[in-house]
Amino acid sequence: MHYLGGVPAVLEATRSFTRRATRPETPARLRLWVAATIATAATLLLTLSLLMARAQEQVRIIGDEAAPQAATAADLYFALSDLDAQVARMVLTAGDDDLAGSQIDALGTYQERSRQVDADVQQALATATDRAAVAELATHLAVYRERVWQTLTAGDAAAGYYTQATNVLHLDLLPAAQDLRDRSTERLSDAYARKSATEAWAVTLAVVLGAALVILLFALQVWLARRFRRVLSPALLAATVLTAAVVVPAVAVLLTQSATLSAARDDSLAPFLALSQARAISYDAAADTSRFLISDNLAYYDDDFQRKSACLVTGSACDVPGGLPAVTGGPDVSPFGRDQVLTRWQAYQKDHERIVGLARGGKNEEAVGALTGIRRGDASFDFAYFDAAVDDIASARSAAFGQALRDSKTLLAGWSWIPVAGLGLVIVLIPPAVRRRFAEYR
Amino acid sequence: MKLRALGLIALLALAGCDSPRSEAAPAIGCAGGEIAGQGSSAQANAVSAWIRNYQVSCADATVEYASVGSGAGLAAFIGGTGDFAGTDSPLSTEDRPKADARCAGGPAIHLPMVAGPIALAYNVAGAGDLRLAPDTVARIFTGRITSWNDPEIARDNPGESLPATPIRTVHRSDSSGTTDNFTKFLAATAAADWPHGSGSAWPAPGGLAQKGSNRVVSTIERSDGAIGYVEASYARFHHLPTAAVGNAAGEFVALTDAAAGRMVGGAKITGTGGDLQLAIDYRSGTTGAYPLVLVTYEVVCKTGAKPLVKSFLAYASSPAGQQAATRLGYAPLPDALRDRVAQAVAAL
Repeated sequence: MHYLGGVPAVLEATRSFTRRATRPETPARLRLWVAATIATAATLLLTLSLLMARAQEQVRIIGDEAAPQAATAADLYFALSDLDAQVARMVLTAGDDDLAGSQIDALGTYQERSRQVDADVQQALATATDRAAVAELATHLAVYRERVWQTLTAGDAAAGYYTQATNVLHLDLLPAAQDLRDRSTERLSDAYARKSATEAWAVTLAVVLGAALVILLFALQVWLARRFRRVLSPALLAATVLTAAVVVPAVAVLLTQSATLSAARDDSLAPFLALSQARAISYDAAADTSRFLISDNLAYYDDDFQRKSACLVTGSACDVPGGLPAVTGGPDVSPFGRDQVLTRWQAYQKDHERIVGLARGGKNEEAVGALTGIRRGDASFDFAYFDAAVDDIASARSAAFGQALRDSKTLLAGWSWIPVAGLGLVIVLIPPAVRRRFAEYR
Repeated sequence: MKLRALGLIALLALAGCDSPRSEAAPAIGCAGGEIAGQGSSAQANAVSAWIRNYQVSCADATVEYASVGSGAGLAAFIGGTGDFAGTDSPLSTEDRPKADARCAGGPAIHLPMVAGPIALAYNVAGAGDLRLAPDTVARIFTGRITSWNDPEIARDNPGESLPATPIRTVHRSDSSGTTDNFTKFLAATAAADWPHGSGSAWPAPGGLAQKGSNRVVSTIERSDGAIGYVEASYARFHHLPTAAVGNAAGEFVALTDAAAGRMVGGAKITGTGGDLQLAIDYRSGTTGAYPLVLVTYEVVCKTGAKPLVKSFLAYASSPAGQQAATRLGYAPLPDALRDRVAQAVAAL
């Protein structure tokens, strides 16, 4: 290390520079103004472009990873519920020539749901932290499919095998799917929290540093005018305007996209996920009507239906607080649309009670006809009617969230380089503005 | 809330971007009331899907369809108890004047509404892509070819190694439009090997008889060496392989919606004055056409049809209606024919 008069050379050089810069002479003052202004502009440039890039990435993570994972987990739960409902339909219609159409429809839907489950499982595997849980779910799924195969080939013994199949679904598969859904919902909340933190930092720093830069540029302009009797420096004026033109829209973009995505989560995504949960329960409840008939009028399945239906109607003792009125309510749904969902479910509830009554009265054929028929007042049609009302709301919510996400991405597009270009130009404009003033002192 | 929306719109406009909006599904033009149809079981699944979708969209409409077979459906229509009839075969010369008389204000017309490819589904060890010429099919179903390694089958499948498994043919025991169209195909393309003519009841001796497509397909599934004819949907949903069938252009064509559509698209419209009765020429040389197809019609009165009949059939013949049928294993009508049907429905 070099020493000058007993002091390290670097320290001495710094001290010397500081002394020169803070000297009361005009050139030194001018150097100080310029250095402070450029340093502030550079800090703002770096901070803003980095935080904007980070916000863009976090919006991408929400849109391309966290939200689809939550939707996939919800879809998996729903698809599994319907898978078992279709197996129940196939068992109930097996061997009845008059119901061959209903059976082939159930088989087609079973295969569709099966592909849906496989696609959801595959997508869930992409999340490293969920792999063990997904592997466990896949094992249960293999057992379930084995039981279904046994059920569909067992002839008269189908009911026994089906009991095992539906037990695997309710005791192993659905809880595993529920676990995946909870994890993905938590990840979505975390992703939103991280994005909010980034936005808060970006807005705060943009406002503080942007205001500081504007003040420095304005003060420099005033100081130059007084000291050098110049009216206005066009370059400094342009730099001031440019700073405001970068910082104000940046803050507006951050606040607007934040509000857009938060509203999309609160008004679209969260209600969509809650509605998906209620929809899965409705499919499972509707399958209880078939299960009741398959099991030769086992009261357990009627009780299970009543429990699920009470959950849907009032939200009592289940994962759907407030039931259908709550999950179908909101600013995006008209009171008529909301009431239709509940009314149509109550119509299915009556169908269930009629079918149970017919079966208990020994009129099994009539009960199966009332279950599979597509006339108004038949269970199959009334459930499709109910589900169509749910689907209208779910589709609108899913589309609204997707739109909000696209809007957010569009708003943030280019904001990782706009600060570089705008503030880079501000930095470039400052030296020409003061070069002639420095020249006066040479 | 309004301020936020305005801000968003302003910023998006500044970004110079048009936010794409999702297109709403085309709405069904609803009519109210009640109608009933009866007839073909081959189209029953498609009609059920149309009824369900239509009633879901149209709260004041009730549409019923009884799958009682084409003959009974036409009888109900002629008797005035049905607003429309579903049939796999056009009105006979005997029934035509009765149907016209029932309509009073105008003649009864045929509206082709959905095409159902007929699959030759099989269960043969080692055979993944079987090809069968019409004369080979006729000889198989008449019992003249009894083993899968027969030289005639080998001629259709050069380079393939086929087993010596005995052939078990499976046919319908009940009267069906599928049998009618399958035997029409054999009578038209392999007359020398198929002396039994055509009809809704299976005419040839031998083979395993089963009631309904569901039982036919189940029998094929559990019988080594089995082959049978079923609506394509049953073969597809049961994952059974289906044979590529020889057409008059000298090609072996696999069963796809597009190939079946080419065959239907090549059919001639023999009806006049809005009647869209088709004549499928099994001997036409349309390239890439899968020749074994069944076209099912709705028979309605050309004038005086209830608004609900018109509205319901407008949905059935729309792209959305055809798509709903496709999901169930039917082949959609070719666009040109679908347009003609839509025009005829609009003119009802």
